[in-house]
Amino acid sequence: MTTVLLTAVLLGSIALQALMPGRRLVIVLTGAGVSCLIGAVTNVAPTSRVLAEVPWDVLVMLVGLGLLTELLAASGMFGKLAVWLTRVSGANHALLVVMFCAVMYLVSGLVNNLTALLLVLPLMLVQFRLLGVTQRYLTWSLGAMLVACNLGGAATPIGDFPAILLLGRGAMDFNDYLTRAAPATAVALAAFLVLVAATARPARDVPRSRVSARITVATMQALHRGLKLDIRALVPGGTALVAMMAAWISLPASTGVRPELICWLGVSAALVGSGRLGERLVRSKVDIEATLFLLALFVMVGTVRATGAFAAMAQDITVLPIPPAAQVVVFLVAAAVLTGLFSAGPSMAALLEVAEVLAARHPPAAIYVGLAMSVCAGSSLFITAATSGPLTQALVERAELRGADGNWLRFGFVDFMPVGALGFGVILCVGIAVTLLQL
Amino acid sequence: MSELLPKGLEDAFLSAAAELGMCSAAWLFVREAEAEGKDYLMALRDALGRTFPVLDAVAGARLEGAEVPALDAVALDTALEGIRRVVVVGVEAAQLDALVARRGTRKLALLTEAALATDWKRVLANFSGAVEAVDLATFQGWAGPRSALLTFAYGVSGESTHVAPVWLRVAGTDVRTQFGALIAWDVLGLPMFVYPRWLVEVPTSTFTHLLP
Repeated sequence: MTTVLLTAVLLGSIALQALMPGRRLVIVLTGAGVSCLIGAVTNVAPTSRVLAEVPWDVLVMLVGLGLLTELLAASGMFGKLAVWLTRVSGANHALLVVMFCAVMYLVSGLVNNLTALLLVLPLMLVQFRLLGVTQRYLTWSLGAMLVACNLGGAATPIGDFPAILLLGRGAMDFNDYLTRAAPATAVALAAFLVLVAATARPARDVPRSRVSARITVATMQALHRGLKLDIRALVPGGTALVAMMAAWISLPASTGVRPELICWLGVSAALVGSGRLGERLVRSKVDIEATLFLLALFVMVGTVRATGAFAAMAQDITVLPIPPAAQVVVFLVAAAVLTGLFSAGPSMAALLEVAEVLAARHPPAAIYVGLAMSVCAGSSLFITAATSGPLTQALVERAELRGADGNWLRFGFVDFMPVGALGFGVILCVGIAVTLLQL
Repeated sequence: MSELLPKGLEDAFLSAAAELGMCSAAWLFVREAEAEGKDYLMALRDALGRTFPVLDAVAGARLEGAEVPALDAVALDTALEGIRRVVVVGVEAAQLDALVARRGTRKLALLTEAALATDWKRVLANFSGAVEAVDLATFQGWAGPRSALLTFAYGVSGESTHVAPVWLRVAGTDVRTQFGALIAWDVLGLPMFVYPRWLVEVPTSTFTHLLP
């Protein structure tokens, strides 16, 4: 009965927050409180134990990496980057899509992709207005960029929450994850972009004009003519990031200096080095919403874990009357679909418990990287599956873009579906292939 | 729209004009169109001139061989002599850059109000903190006998000139007495031939200084 109740609270909260994203924080925090109450009253999961088992290391890394991203953003580097991309691409429509995707993939592997998007996207939308684009181009270029962001986030152990969770919980070490996930995500991105270029051809109905391209490049440069890189933010932020990467790669776990401690010290050093800006960022830029959301999820998942439900679920998969490799495929497909419906945070927090059981029967790295790829595929399925989707939608609406035919351009749920379906299929196929090759 | 130019160029010009100013954006569009050939410049004037009178005037002048007018630094220094604080109303990139370059110890503020959608954060980022943002509720905090209100004018014809509409929201009778100088900087220096859309007509006597 307790298992049913706690599972119902977890699934109910996840479903409700997906249906009512405007109230998701209150919903999951209430769900977490109710879970603690049930766990405490039934003595299945006393609150003190549930809170003690929250992976605080993961939250430390999320907050720390978020602050480091804000520091790099304050340096003005993303504005410079967007102008550079426009100049180098010559404002060529097709080239812009590929270059923005490639750059956002790389950036998302190192810093919080939401902040990067928030800074790069408005510049991209200005370019679209200057260049003149069509609905097809807007849909596929922005959609491809979101998929690239998701892949970049999965490429490194510090790119996005699912990978950070694997690193923070010690499921995989930095190098092991990086060497397996980075090539897999790069292959998926290349395959996705080739398919987009071959089938959708985003730029095919965009009027081409050399004058328009010239004006776009010149205007972008003029709009940012005096923008200077803030060395006081860039140097400490960049140095800390490089030093942290070096420490993550080289320091063995036996030293006791774990990834979250490296992150804590590295980010602290960067903030100290940036003077007053560092203090201001800590006071105003910590992503409280994401932190509380994940804390609530960890609490709910922790209470369900205490009932043994996840172990039973994994057991159910392992007794399916199909070969072990097929069982893994079933798990990966289910993980991708669940992520599409419930988003990456909740899915990863719950599915990792199941993955740990499967990892005891198969090579752990194959299961974990496969899971990260599945979660990445699911994040790309619907515009609502990852936070960057609704953010992009809102920014496009605010930009009030019009197409060459004079109609307003939009980027909504239905518009994104073909891009999401293609991204989902490609990433999931690559993820399954990579996993099966390692079994 | 002419066959030489793509559709949707109006939106492109509006985006540029919002953050560079009508005149600076016009010269940029004219320069880039002309780089492709004189036909393109004529097509640009035909396509956008009626909607954007400043662009029309600039394109017309360029077709007759005019160059980007040089900024009169001496006149600027003379008008700002003794002025310690300047509130700029409206945007013109070339003039703002010159103002910042010659500011010395003078404090500069930009009124972050406009008829066109403007990303003020991006506009101000070009000045590395040398220009502060003020809005309609706070700009009077900059008033004083050694303070000036400065706006950009688009051609002076007899007793009147044209300025950005936001000027009318700033320069009421009560406000005028609070500032030591009210300066109009004629950034166009040319007559406009089509109806001056996007701008409003004001008497030149509104201003204590008229910069060429």
